[in-house]
Amino acid sequence: MNIRCFQRNFSAAFPPLVPLQLPSPMETHLWYILPDEVKNSALLNQYSELLSPCERESVSRMRGDQLKKRALLARALVRTTIARYQTNCQMNPRSLRFRKNLYGKPEVEWRNEDNFNPPPLHFNISHTSAMIACGVTVNVPIGIDIEENQRRTKNNIIAFAQRYFSPYEVKVLTAISDPEVQRQEFIKLWTLKEAYVKALGKGFSAVPFKTFTIRFRDTTMRKFHPPESSVSEESDIVVESSEDPTDPAKNWRCALLEVAGSHYGAICVEKDRIAGENAPMKLTVWKTVPFVEDVCVSGTDAVLVLGGIIEQ
Amino acid sequence: MASSTALSFKFSTISTYFKQNQAPLRGICNVNSVSLPSRGIRPGSLRRLRVSCAAKPETLDKVCGIVRKQLALPADSSITGESKFTALGADSLDTVEIVMGLEEEFGISVEEENAQNIVTVQDAADLIEKLVEQKAA
Repeated sequence: MNIRCFQRNFSAAFPPLVPLQLPSPMETHLWYILPDEVKNSALLNQYSELLSPCERESVSRMRGDQLKKRALLARALVRTTIARYQTNCQMNPRSLRFRKNLYGKPEVEWRNEDNFNPPPLHFNISHTSAMIACGVTVNVPIGIDIEENQRRTKNNIIAFAQRYFSPYEVKVLTAISDPEVQRQEFIKLWTLKEAYVKALGKGFSAVPFKTFTIRFRDTTMRKFHPPESSVSEESDIVVESSEDPTDPAKNWRCALLEVAGSHYGAICVEKDRIAGENAPMKLTVWKTVPFVEDVCVSGTDAVLVLGGIIEQ
Repeated sequence: MASSTALSFKFSTISTYFKQNQAPLRGICNVNSVSLPSRGIRPGSLRRLRVSCAAKPETLDKVCGIVRKQLALPADSSITGESKFTALGADSLDTVEIVMGLEEEFGISVEEENAQNIVTVQDAADLIEKLVEQKAA
């Protein structure tokens, strides 16, 4: 008997997660929680029940209630998100196991059992004090990063960029005269660079920030899109590696969003060979309070596309 | 202040002493806690310093100060060598900013691979000491 069917072991107190189809190979799903909307301590306890003992211990080591709550919600988001994607029957979020790859990138450890084909799910999370996000793809690696759009750096932006960014990026930032716009563009660039490195999954030392450039480029190929289509054609985002002449960076598709009016979010996904070079990123975004409410916010003001060819 | 310069002078004399005489012992530096009872160094505690090559308390204090400032932690929040950056609420941007602050404070340059291996405040302090020493050598 398939022990993963949740009717057997799942506590009756948990309402079922709304099941979902896996994203198609060209799709990216993004789920986010706003911690300030989760105040019910009974609900937080329920989330705590989903965690492994190891995860619970990590949460307890965080300093202060806010950080503990954030850590708890992050694990609960990852577990419930992955559990939504049905294969044979609904996965129990509590029974998911995680491990880190050779370079420290978290991934699901599917158990090797008879008749169980693990879904080729990839995920990546990012969090700030006001949002926790989880991106999901099928077949291809994904990296995401979010930052509060009001985030200020302690260091001078240009000094920071000179230390860590590529020369081209420093040039672009230096050319911005308005300090507020410069700050915003810095944060956006930071999230894109983080998302790319996280997508690669080889650790930061494998791809130091200085060794690649991210820039916006007007799309030269503008396909005709019918009026009712929802493809945003902001500038395309290009990643160029300064070290590798064969330029593996061409294999990555990036998106830059403003989410919930409060955060910049960058998503970086490896291009699926079948989907093709210029296919837009099909993106669906949900705001969630797991077990309570899921709201699809794609195409609303909660998701503004700032860069990349995205179809919502 | 006169007293702290005197302290620094004593520290650098001692580290020179180490370079000249303690090369074989360097490989043993895995102690996480500094065994000095107070900030000051007294000649009598030299023997304890021989086996404990972790960062000086002065370095650790400076690191704690920079971390506290970057993360806007209240003055009474306790930060020790064992404190993990993530547990204090530092995200990747914070960590990079902290490293940049440390580079400026100590006049060193941290390679990204080394920055990535910093998990605790003590790791940062130890790395700084290593880099400062390499620079002086």
